Amino acid sequence: MTVTFESIWDFPIACYLFLAGLGAGAFLATCVIDWKNPEASRMRRAGLIIAPVAVAIGLVLLMVDARGGLYNPLRFALLLNNPGSVMSWGVVFLAVFMVVSIAALVLDLLHHRLPVALKAVGCVTAVAVGIYTGVLLGVVRAFPLWNNAVLPLLFLVSALSAGAAAVMLYGRLAARAEVEQLGFVEKLTVPLPYIEAVLLILLLAFVAGNGAAGAQSTLNLTAGSWALCFWVGIVALGLVVPAVVEGISLYRERRRPASPVASGVLAASNASVLVGGICLRFAVVTAAVPVLFL
Amino acid sequence: MTRYGMLIDTTLCTGCGACRAACQQQNNLDADLGFIKYAVLEQGAGAQSRASATPLQCMHCEDAPCAAVCPTGASYVGPDGLVAVEEGKCIGCLYCMAACPYQVRVRNEATGTVDKCRLCAVTTLTETTGCTCVEACPAGARVVGDLDDGNSELVRLINERGASPIAPTLSQAKLYYVR
Repeated sequence: MTVTFESIWDFPIACYLFLAGLGAGAFLATCVIDWKNPEASRMRRAGLIIAPVAVAIGLVLLMVDARGGLYNPLRFALLLNNPGSVMSWGVVFLAVFMVVSIAALVLDLLHHRLPVALKAVGCVTAVAVGIYTGVLLGVVRAFPLWNNAVLPLLFLVSALSAGAAAVMLYGRLAARAEVEQLGFVEKLTVPLPYIEAVLLILLLAFVAGNGAAGAQSTLNLTAGSWALCFWVGIVALGLVVPAVVEGISLYRERRRPASPVASGVLAASNASVLVGGICLRFAVVTAAVPVLFL
Repeated sequence: MTRYGMLIDTTLCTGCGACRAACQQQNNLDADLGFIKYAVLEQGAGAQSRASATPLQCMHCEDAPCAAVCPTGASYVGPDGLVAVEEGKCIGCLYCMAACPYQVRVRNEATGTVDKCRLCAVTTLTETTGCTCVEACPAGARVVGDLDDGNSELVRLINERGASPIAPTLSQAKLYYVR
């Protein structure tokens, strides 16, 4: 029997998973910047804007895609009805994250320092949101590509990469003087594509061995209709480019300030990470095949 | 306890589509929306090969994964053991469609909500006849009844024909198949 399957969720939900992770990652990156480089005020401000705005755009996509709720918005008030549902937990995490990240932004706009407690709650919730985007899919036993413990970690690391990349991209385009001082943040992000690559290989190895549906999902990704998205989007743009560019940039004697070319290459690498992150969510959401039982 | 279930004998099924059409009429569904779908498999080889149709629909799992993931409680297991969707609570997030091990839930494009087989054929047990899949099947491949009633035709036929849920490892389904 040939396997034809129309995926349940499509690009809007993939974008939602990406943007929720990006917002969470941006908040965490901003907290690191605020800790190590409190003088980098423009980048802190940018990060504090990116965090809630990215998550909010994702939530709008989610609500537009959930058409039963879109047509009857009051139904969204029922989202906490089932404490056993991962989606209900996600709503709690996302709600707390939105409140905390908007509060942090308002304090920053009023030129207050961010209270440590607020940052701590925000960071914990951000990690919860990052993991949640993977667990949401991870508990679905019908799809081997999702139903494993690696996916939430992969999505979390990808969320950290994308969040940091978004903040750094802003800095390289609009706050060059500040971004030059952020050596610590740069060092922190260098290992991320390598960790992500290991997690991706583990994911494929586990899934390929998990029955016909797992094998089919792996084939879809690496050699089927998603091959371009996988090899160019996820592997080349999302992993190889940042691994090479940021790896070289870390170990090379750097001119300070960086040359316009070096700065442009680093900005392109940040943008490349974002494209890779979208491709990862899209491929994982749409290439998954349900367990065959006949 | 009453535990409604159904037997589908695929060795009798010709894949004619009458059950699906009857279901659409009974539940007032559009032509592109159906609660029953058919998996067509080739069995045997060479001159002995034949196509066999297996009608698939909501299995009314006792441990319904759809109800477990539904964030709003729109999908639930009712007191009669039947899995149901309360349309007025459904936001159409499609999480239940993903969680269904048999992938037999459908989205109603007009309302944006999720729907599926309601096992309305149980109404025929109380002599309310209609246009159900059980009544429409020309081959008599479908039997509905109470799984907890040892004297019912359903339980007798399940035992006689050695029927079992289609994939016992996936969930505790209340639809039994002869294959």
